[in-house]
Parts: sequence; C-alpha cells; structure tokens
Amino acid sequence: MQLDTKQRITELSIKELLVTQQLNTKPQVVERLAVADDVRELLPDSGLVRGRIVRCSGDAGLSLALSLCSLATQQGSWLGVVGVEHLGLLAAVEHGVALERTVLVHPPKTSREWSITVAAAIEGLDLLIVAVPERLSVNDARRVQTRLQSRRAVMIIVDNTVLSQSRSMNGSNEAQQFLADVVLDTKTKSWSGVDKGAGYLQHRDVRIRVSGRRVARERNYLVTRSC
Amino acid sequence: MRTPKRLAVLRCLDWSAVVAAKNSTTPCAVIHAQRVISRTPAAMRYGVQVGMRRRHAQALCPDIEIVAHQPSRDRTAFDAVVRVVNELVPLIEVSEPGLIVFAARGPSRYMGGDGPMASKIVEALKTSVADSRLAALLVGVGVADSRLAAQIASHASAMASSSANLFVPYVVEPDKTNEWLAPQSVRVLGEFASINRETISLLERLGLNTLHDVCALSESVLAGRFGELGVELHRLSRGDEQYPLAVVPHPPEHLCIEKFDEPVSDQQIIINSVQRMAVAFTEYYSVHGSVCVRIVISFESESGKRSERLWYRPQGLTTSAIIENAKWQLEAWLASQLAGDISGDPESHALENYALENYALENHGLVRVQLIADEVRTDTAQQLRLWGGSTQTDETATQAIGRLSELLGSSAVQVAKWQGGRDVLDSYELVSATHAQTIGSASSHEQISAQKWRGALPNPSPSVVYSEPIQVQINDQFGKLLSVSARHELSASPVSVIIGSTHYKVNSWAGPWPVEERWWDSARSRRLVRLQLVCEKITADSALQILAMLAILEHGEWTVAAIYS
Repeated sequence: MQLDTKQRITELSIKELLVTQQLNTKPQVVERLAVADDVRELLPDSGLVRGRIVRCSGDAGLSLALSLCSLATQQGSWLGVVGVEHLGLLAAVEHGVALERTVLVHPPKTSREWSITVAAAIEGLDLLIVAVPERLSVNDARRVQTRLQSRRAVMIIVDNTVLSQSRSMNGSNEAQQFLADVVLDTKTKSWSGVDKGAGYLQHRDVRIRVSGRRVARERNYLVTRSC
Repeated sequence: MRTPKRLAVLRCLDWSAVVAAKNSTTPCAVIHAQRVISRTPAAMRYGVQVGMRRRHAQALCPDIEIVAHQPSRDRTAFDAVVRVVNELVPLIEVSEPGLIVFAARGPSRYMGGDGPMASKIVEALKTSVADSRLAALLVGVGVADSRLAAQIASHASAMASSSANLFVPYVVEPDKTNEWLAPQSVRVLGEFASINRETISLLERLGLNTLHDVCALSESVLAGRFGELGVELHRLSRGDEQYPLAVVPHPPEHLCIEKFDEPVSDQQIIINSVQRMAVAFTEYYSVHGSVCVRIVISFESESGKRSERLWYRPQGLTTSAIIENAKWQLEAWLASQLAGDISGDPESHALENYALENYALENHGLVRVQLIADEVRTDTAQQLRLWGGSTQTDETATQAIGRLSELLGSSAVQVAKWQGGRDVLDSYELVSATHAQTIGSASSHEQISAQKWRGALPNPSPSVVYSEPIQVQINDQFGKLLSVSARHELSASPVSVIIGSTHYKVNSWAGPWPVEERWWDSARSRRLVRLQLVCEKITADSALQILAMLAILEHGEWTVAAIYS
C-alpha cells in the first residue's frame, strides 16, 4: 500500500516536471499565483498552483478563501465568484480583494448548467471561488476539473451553507464530487473583542487543518485572524 | 440655426409591475435591493411609492403581491407593444422596456398632427394587444423638441390619462420647449435624464431649484464648476438635443455586413457571427477615438423579410451590449414570424408539439446580418490605461464575461460598484456586467470615495451578508423577547438565539448600536438597532460550534443580517 502511494507520487512529480518543462517554452504563463504572507505558510507550495483545486471548508472558509485570492487579484488576475450567495463585498475589500477585477456569477443550480457556466468562467478568469451544488454529477465535475487543468486556472471551493449545520459541520461525510488538491478545514475556537455589550468583534482564533492529496502530512495550525 | 427636431415618447407607466402582476386589479410591486422600483396602479391607490422599503409597502397594503425584479420578463412582454407601434411608425428606438422614442415629424404629418398621431397609436395598442394584465396599464405620449421634455410630457400625459380615465396626449408646441421646461424642478433631471442624486441635491443646495435657474447661468460658469457634466446640465435645461434623431437616413459611417451563402437557421450561429461583427465594430470606433451610441441592427431572411431596429445607449454601445440587443431583437422577430405563420396557415395546429423556434428558423433562414452605426460621438471619459489598451488577462477576462452574460443573461453576471451606506448590504451595489461602464479599472474617484461612512459597522465586516434577512428570536434569561428602549438600552442581557428550530447560547455581545437614517423622508426613513452576537451550539457529534453574527432589530422584529464566516 505504501509502495503504491510512493509510486504515484514519483509519477506525479515526473508529470509535474514535464508540465513545467512545457511551460518553460512559454515564459508568459506564471505557474503560481501569489498569496498574501499571512496565509502563505498554510499552502504546501507557498502559493496557489495553477490547475489545482483548493477546498476551504468550515465556519471560517469563506473569509479564508477571500484572503487567498487577495494578492493575486491585486497583481492583475481576475476573480470569478460563481454560485456563492450572500457574499459580503465589504469583507472582500477588507481582505484585499481588488473588486474591479471581480465578477459575480449566479448560475442555475442544475448540474449541467452549473458546469457549463464554470467551464466558461475558467476560459478567461484565473481564479474562481465556487460553491458546488449538491446535485452536481461526478461526470460533470470531472469535466470541469479537466478543463481547469488545461486552462491553468485555480478553483477554490467553499461551503455555501453556514446556518444549516448538518452539512457544513460534517464536511468529511458529505459526497464530494471534486477531489481537492488541498483541503483547508477551519474551525473557529474563540472570538475576541466583545464583552457583554462593550467593544466590537476584532479577532478570532481559528484552527486550520491542512490535508488533501498534495499535502504530504496532515498539519494543524492555530491562527489568529482579523476576521 | 438648426431646425428643432420633434421627438415623441411613448411611456407605459410602471411597466415591470403591470407585467409581473397576476391580473390587472391586484396590487403588485416589483422589488429590487429591498426597494420598490415599480408598482401597479392598484398598489398606487394604497399609497405605495417607488423607492419605498419592502416592509413599508407591505404595511400600507397587506395583500400586496411582491415580485422580484426580472429584466428579461419585462423585455419579452414589451415586444408585443413594440410590434404594434412599429406597424404605425417605421423607425423606433426602444430605450428600455416601457419606453419608446421616435421622430415625430413624419408620422405626425401622415396622421394629421401630433395629438391625433398619439391617440391613434394608443388606440392601436388598446385594440391589438390582447393581454388581460394590460387593462390597467397607463400609457402616455409626449411630444416635444428634446428628449428630456418629451419624457416629462409623456409622464404628465400618463398621469392625466389616469385621472381623466381617457387618453390625453401631451404636446409641447414647437419652439416652446425652452419656456415649457423653465418652471420644472431640477429633480426631473434625476428622474428622466439619469443625472445622479448627489448632483441634484447639490444644485438644490446652491439655490438652483428650477431648470430656469440652471439655464439662467452661463454655460461657462457651469462648466467651471461641474466640468463636462455642467455643459450637459445646461444643455438639458435649455431643451437642446446633443445629437438629434436623424429623420432622413444619412449614409452610414461604418457598417458591418455578414452574408451567409446558405440560409442559416441556428440561432447560436447567428449570435456568434453578430459577436464577431460587434467586436470588429467597436474596435473600429475605439481606434478612431469615438464610440457608437446608436446602432441599427438588421436581419434579412431568405424570403426577403427584414427586421430592423434602432438601439440607443447614451454611454456608448459596448460589444456585449450590441450582442444582447441583437439577441433580444432576433428572438422577438422569430416569435412574430411564427405568430404570422400560424395565423396565416390553418393547418399549423400540428405544430403544437414541434419546437417552435426551430420551426421559425427553418422556414426563415437568415441570409444577411447588418450592423450600421447611426450615431457616433467622440469617446470622452473612457480612456482606461496610459500605456495603450489593457493587458492580455483583462482582454481574455472581458471575453469570458461576455460569454457568461450570453449564457446566463446579463442580470446573472454582476460587478460591484461603490455606493456608500451604513448597512453592510448597501455599501456596494451590484450592477450587471454588460451595463458597467469600465470593467477592470477602478476610477480614482471611486478609490477616494470608498471610505466607510460614519456610523457604519467597525472592521472586520461580515463575509456572509443576507439580502433577505433571516427572522430570529433573541431571548433573555426568562425566555422573554429582548427589546430596546427609546434610549437605546437593552431590556436585559441576551441569553439565547433561536433560528428556525436551532437554539444557540449567547456567549458575549456588543452593542446595541442605533441607526436613524433619513428621518426627514417618510418613505425612505429607517430606524434600527444593531447587535453583534457571539453564539455557541453543541452539534450532534458533540463538537462546539462558535458563530458570530450581526442581528438587527427593526419594526420590533429581530433578524440576522450577516454572519462572520
């Protein structure tokens, strides 16, 4: 069993090598999108590698996804937010997302139309924050993933249900159509700043568990975030 | 001196509400961003006004039917009206659903004067549009020398028709437009000429209450104070047209033609070719430093039938706007062709199970598509980059956005625009990407003004904001609903929050922070109290979940407006 995985890893790294060699002939393609300092250490390649899927789950997932995107959008990449309802735009600005290069797309929730929309967005946008509809078929998901890899975009998956906890809390049990390369599972430990009527919400401690198929060893971080 | 051009405006008052209502007598309001943007005459009788908050409208009229804003519904329904008017007047301009503009001189002379012409058109509308919902529709026709005056006149005509219960056209005599506009309040500029609210309020504070006051100042003074906008204000108030409608078709400056060797019957292929043409078209003008504001799109079918329509956008037509207009026109035309076929052919009942659109296209394959520039002006304020053009990424992104709007309709693809406000929902407005003027570049003005308002919530802001706040119960330790006194003090400490059937225990809270907005305006005033709550809950798998939320008390009801996710 262990041998198998090792073999796979070597295979993958060879593939990666090939990809980078191909890309060396086309110097205008940046292989990695930059991320801000405070989240860089969470990611295995200290950046968002193009063609990959990152899942931000848990109760601080959306704000984490926004801060992952911030530096790249400031440097000229475009961000598409697909199917994420109720996104707080003010929060996006505070995380540093350049709103002038952000597009919000509201596709229908049926499997086929959702995947067509995401595929169209992948064509021209570097970064996507998406909420995956529950009924997405595995076939459509695979097609989207292939397109993502060939177009060298980065997709960040977030949960869209904060108040219906049955789904978002048992993130590991749910059927996941996309096989994420990096999974950042967040859990708020405590909020600071408010005290029985005084103050205002300022910081929170978040436990972030990093796993996924591109992560060698599962790691846990305890981070204090401004939101 | 230029001879003034007569313009006629046909206005269907509150079109979107009338179309959205179930029948002509139900009170109905169309809501966009929690505000009433249109309401039926029945709702008007209850005192429901445009700009009111949804709750306020419901308080005035409890049975009111609330419908979400849906531009495509308005447009499809409006095609019936466009078709009828187009039979009487050859070249018309559809600025938005519910509003038609056309040159009045020719039609008036043919039908014996402005008044009879207007009556004739309205009569034709009443007889040939067979839709029961439209029985309550108020139609007004205004004729004047400028677009603004004709718009105001059409509104006046619609209002007069409703009170007199029969159609009354409103005609401003030729060469009298200037005098007629003079006593109008400057607010009409906001209502009919899309001048923004801040400018209007500034004019009022400067003591310029009527258009006469604005007109009395010299143009150079206004230009010195407001720049290009000042010149525009002066022009509007004296009743001039910047670009008069062309009555006689002049030779086109630029036209794109695509001829198909074989009749094309796939709608997607036609739209694709329009897309190619539109890109070349806008590129041609941007190279010459100008922008096309009016365009004629024309389709010609194999059987020699033609569909020609005029499209106008004062800010200039972008590629995506051209595509969208072409799509609208093509769909409407196909539908009308089909209707013609069915009525002319008694055996066509067999068609019922047949895909209607395909039928229309198979019998009327297109052989020619044309885009003709009708009106071009210099491009004034849309220069984006210093170093010539945008980057490669911007270009591909713009293309993708165009494709997305084509797939989903323009209202489903949005970009954010700063508008300011104390509410977390209000500070950015979402505008459809096709209507956004400058995608991909924040104007310097926007960067300066995008600062928090006094009284807005402190940073950090919530990342999940509900457009429809969720009803909750917030209780004190005795299970009594929490209230806030007139001095903004909580009746007790909050202890539990109930959302649906889930109970949360309150750990800590901050607030209450009161907001009292626009107390001088009964329709738009708001009074509310905000509270930040940190709650916890034990989930089924005995894990502790901590949730920070923003609760709002308004009209005695607690709601959750946002979650710090």
